[in-house]
Amino acid sequence: MAVEPGRAPLRRLLSLWAIYARMDLLWVARGLRVSVAWYLGDLVVSLSAVTWSFLLAERFDGIGTWSKLQVVFMLGLALAVRGSVEFGFGLNAAFPSRRIGRGQLDHMLLMPQPLWLTIASDGFCPASGSGQLLAGSAVIAWAVHALALPVDATWLALLALHVFSAASIMLAFAYLWGSLAFLAPRAAEEINSSTMRLLEQLKPFPLDGVGFGLTFGLMTVVPAGFLAWLPSRVLLGLEPERSAWLWTPLAALVSVALAAWVFRAGLARYARTGSTRYLSHGFRR
Amino acid sequence: MDFAVSLRNVSKVYRQRQRSERLGDVFRNLLRPTVVRIEALRGIDLSVPRGEIVAYAGPNGAGKSTTIKLLASLLAPDSGQVRVLGMDPVRDRVRYVGRIGVVFGQRTELWWDHPVAASFAWKRVVWNIGRERYERMLGLVRELLGLDAFMNTLARELSLGQRMRADLAMALLHEPEVLFLDEPTLGLDVLARRNILRFVRDVNRERGVTVVVTSHDMDELEQLAGRIVMLHRGEIAFDGDFASLRRHASDRRVFLLETPSFASLELDGAERTGGENGRHEFVYDASRVRLSDLLEQAAAQTQILDVETHRAPIDTLVADLYERWQRERT
Repeated sequence: MAVEPGRAPLRRLLSLWAIYARMDLLWVARGLRVSVAWYLGDLVVSLSAVTWSFLLAERFDGIGTWSKLQVVFMLGLALAVRGSVEFGFGLNAAFPSRRIGRGQLDHMLLMPQPLWLTIASDGFCPASGSGQLLAGSAVIAWAVHALALPVDATWLALLALHVFSAASIMLAFAYLWGSLAFLAPRAAEEINSSTMRLLEQLKPFPLDGVGFGLTFGLMTVVPAGFLAWLPSRVLLGLEPERSAWLWTPLAALVSVALAAWVFRAGLARYARTGSTRYLSHGFRR
Repeated sequence: MDFAVSLRNVSKVYRQRQRSERLGDVFRNLLRPTVVRIEALRGIDLSVPRGEIVAYAGPNGAGKSTTIKLLASLLAPDSGQVRVLGMDPVRDRVRYVGRIGVVFGQRTELWWDHPVAASFAWKRVVWNIGRERYERMLGLVRELLGLDAFMNTLARELSLGQRMRADLAMALLHEPEVLFLDEPTLGLDVLARRNILRFVRDVNRERGVTVVVTSHDMDELEQLAGRIVMLHRGEIAFDGDFASLRRHASDRRVFLLETPSFASLELDGAERTGGENGRHEFVYDASRVRLSDLLEQAAAQTQILDVETHRAPIDTLVADLYERWQRERT
């Protein structure tokens, strides 16, 4: 009678993505008014997130050594990174403190699959979460065209690698801080709103010319520099160091490993203490 | 004997912070908070044979939900051993949760903003349920729980009874061998409650599913289970059938007398609980007082036109029992 958990993780992941994609599409397409409102709202949120640095670039014809078009490229990249997180980790999958704080982690533990597979799949929202990714891709395409960047397969692979790595760093940061909710479920329930906002506010600015201490802080403690600035330097050919294309992926590996370690420690605590709180329907909303 | 559920000397302690509301205690609360140890479970031993329905009851805070969480892999014991179907629920979680079903009366596994049918389809994929098995079980639960009327309704728009039926159906789609039901009829009307109880009984009888069910409604548990385990302050205070529970709790019975006289009667060994216009209601403990003695006393005072006796509802007995435990505690 037992249910056999799938043996091939990648096949499992694909079948899970398929069901979540189907549910997401049905959700967003449940009515014309709802769909239009959803996408319009998403567009406004996306644009407002990067408008201020664009206005600065427009006013001063660039920021520091960066030209206006280079800033636009970076803003497109910042949008695409955030959009990738929305695309693959919607429904509060990128806000673990909410799931932990609301006692909804229990739902995830009751699924017969490893927790990493649940985290990697149950926020997959290609229909409702694609707005920022599409907007970011369009801005990147326009900036690349205007800057007359030489684009080939290697450059596109590098772009994909950096978007993926930066999104991983963003998620790792969320899980690292979100794990605080294991210690204080109620007090830290919304900590991921703050950490996400922190990255959102800091990522669309070039860090050239910023002092060493601050740059170091923005590449480690709050890794905003990895989300758009450093990848843009690499992709725009501004980084003289040949190994620079490896820095963001390596930072992603370190961040994910650290976040996984902290989250697992939190889970061990959760097994001892459990959750005394439950808010229904939260992460599935 | 083949046991589906086995708990050996299981203990669980929670630490609860206490906070004074006095302003002067701000620093003390911050630096040296008062922490109280709550012993939720104290050396519990419990075995449930395959195919049995066990009612798990006790006053609030007795440790019922903690036990269900331990059995559902959501919590690890501090000491002792939990085994269900031969597995450790926490360590073997992935394999384990594929073989059990859990329903929490206060929670839902349904997708809030999707129709019930979408949650079922989701379950098929996540639980990796074969198409044939899924269709067979879906047909069964649809028929037995009458789901057809709301299969395409969003979960958030279901009534409580409908939601509970859908949750119960969803918990069974993968044919679990053990079902844990934590207050499955909480807040339901009598009809919805009856349907749920009937369904659980049918599933147990026809499919041999082992069921552990908690509830505060003793009548309901008596209808459902042959065996009741009662917890009190984290320990098993009673484990047996309902007849034994009645004897354990006191064999309280209601005694009704009809007399031509409107004057009130006094009976030694019985407590007068009501009555008017020649009808007199008493309650007595049949394990201590003989009915014939009461009848004799009554006959000595007036002419008796009619007599009725019946057992006190199980809820009343259990309330008495809880009260007794509380008194013993203080």
